[in-house]
Amino acid sequence: MLIFHGCPDVTPSPEQMQASMTEWMAWIDKLAKDGRYVSGEPLMTGGKLIKGNIKGVTDGPYAEGKEVVGGYFIINAENYDEAVALCADYPDFDKDGSIQVRQVMKMDM
Amino acid sequence: MSATPPIDQLVDNLFRREWGKLISVLTKLFGPQNLQLAEDVVQETLLKALHTWKINGLPQNPSAWLFTAARNKAIDVLRRQKTQQQYARNITPLLQSEYSLSPTVNELVNDAHIDDDQLKMMFVCCQPQLSAEAQVAVILKTLCGFSVAEIAKAFVTNYDTIEKRLYRARQSLKENKVCFDLPPRTALEQRLENVLTAIYLLFNEGYSSTHHDNLIRKDLVAEAIRLAELISNSKLINTGSAHALLALMYFTASRTDARLDEEGNILLLKEQDRGKWNREMTGKAIHHLDASAVAENLSKYHLEAGIAFEHAKAINYEKTNWKNILHYYDVLLTMYPSPLIALNRAIAVGELLGPAESIRAIEAIENITLLDKYYLLPATLGEQHSKLRQNERAAVYFKNAILLTASPAVKKLLQQKIDALQL
Repeated sequence: MLIFHGCPDVTPSPEQMQASMTEWMAWIDKLAKDGRYVSGEPLMTGGKLIKGNIKGVTDGPYAEGKEVVGGYFIINAENYDEAVALCADYPDFDKDGSIQVRQVMKMDM
Repeated sequence: MSATPPIDQLVDNLFRREWGKLISVLTKLFGPQNLQLAEDVVQETLLKALHTWKINGLPQNPSAWLFTAARNKAIDVLRRQKTQQQYARNITPLLQSEYSLSPTVNELVNDAHIDDDQLKMMFVCCQPQLSAEAQVAVILKTLCGFSVAEIAKAFVTNYDTIEKRLYRARQSLKENKVCFDLPPRTALEQRLENVLTAIYLLFNEGYSSTHHDNLIRKDLVAEAIRLAELISNSKLINTGSAHALLALMYFTASRTDARLDEEGNILLLKEQDRGKWNREMTGKAIHHLDASAVAENLSKYHLEAGIAFEHAKAINYEKTNWKNILHYYDVLLTMYPSPLIALNRAIAVGELLGPAESIRAIEAIENITLLDKYYLLPATLGEQHSKLRQNERAAVYFKNAILLTASPAVKKLLQQKIDALQL
């Protein structure tokens, strides 16, 4: 699972948005062509953080823009090295974005 | 995401084009006095689209997706603020009642009359109380989706100047209670001139881009042509100067493919393979030049299109009729005195009368300090001095010109000229 962190520039121009969109589509296209891409969803900003019991609700989950999760992909990779290599074309490194790479636990039945 | 859409589904300039459409319909809804509000709603809408689409892929109909998202955001905003705000004059009461709010928004925020809406928006931007520069800046910002930085480049000025211009323009729309409608017939022509200036600037941006390495962006050129055709196709305002501008733009755009070599180096008019000029575009240019004859007044676009026509007619560079071209420049300079036109005239003088005369013409330009930051001034002087074999002086001018342009392709061309001097 690739978890995308970071709150990219809030005031990009339409042209910059177009450029960003093009890069993302190219990246997904590449992942899909190589049979790597499984699924992905964007996450809305905001949300709730619940601690202790459901009365312990705060707005959250993070206050820091940098840590906000913007969405995730599920991809196929043999190991972490391979998964990390697939992130080489992630378009938002230069926009302060970062990726958390996590292995989804699979139980052998 | 079920299937990955191919990259070519992302229409050229989708975000900029949809920006212009959404701003137009939201300004119809909120009223020109709330332009900032419309821009905020559109910015949020496009950001939401980017955020969603980059992970999920493009929806089937991106434009319809955006209009729906913008409608929802507009309804949210109107609900939150309905008692404190005045919107478009005739519909404000409808927006203040929960019964009529959604139907009114749905009625107005759609693309049923999108050409008329964008046309009216162009004229909203061209209020007589705004300076010409401010009118142009607002058009580029609202209808063309240019950022402040991109507009600053088109104006050869800095960020703060444009930011201030836009702020004052928004204030003025507010104070003067401007309506979302075409100006009265008496004011139409004057306002149209400013609209055409903005379109011409957009076109020129296509030839020297702000933040891309490639010099020519065909998409911007196409956008400028699209806006001009919106005007020339309109039954309400079909004027000769819009056709003349279209002729000028088509003549210029017809040379796009000949303007760069395979490595992306700039080829000057002299070096271009005229066989690569796009004959289809030249044909359209001539068509619009014919149509432009209906104008009562000769606009600067008539004259500039006339110059472009001279180049299109010449089989090769040597056959160019510089005498005619210089004549057009003389008329242009009389009607529209500007150091930039005078500089271009000086280049024609050089072709006709030689480099020494060209330098003399440059030295005689009035208000030449306005061109202090424009690379073409030292570049032209460098060119003329190199023709006179004053190589050291030429090199100084070329180096100066390199410092004044942000375009890598132009920098490279100038460096090649310095190298060719063999100092």
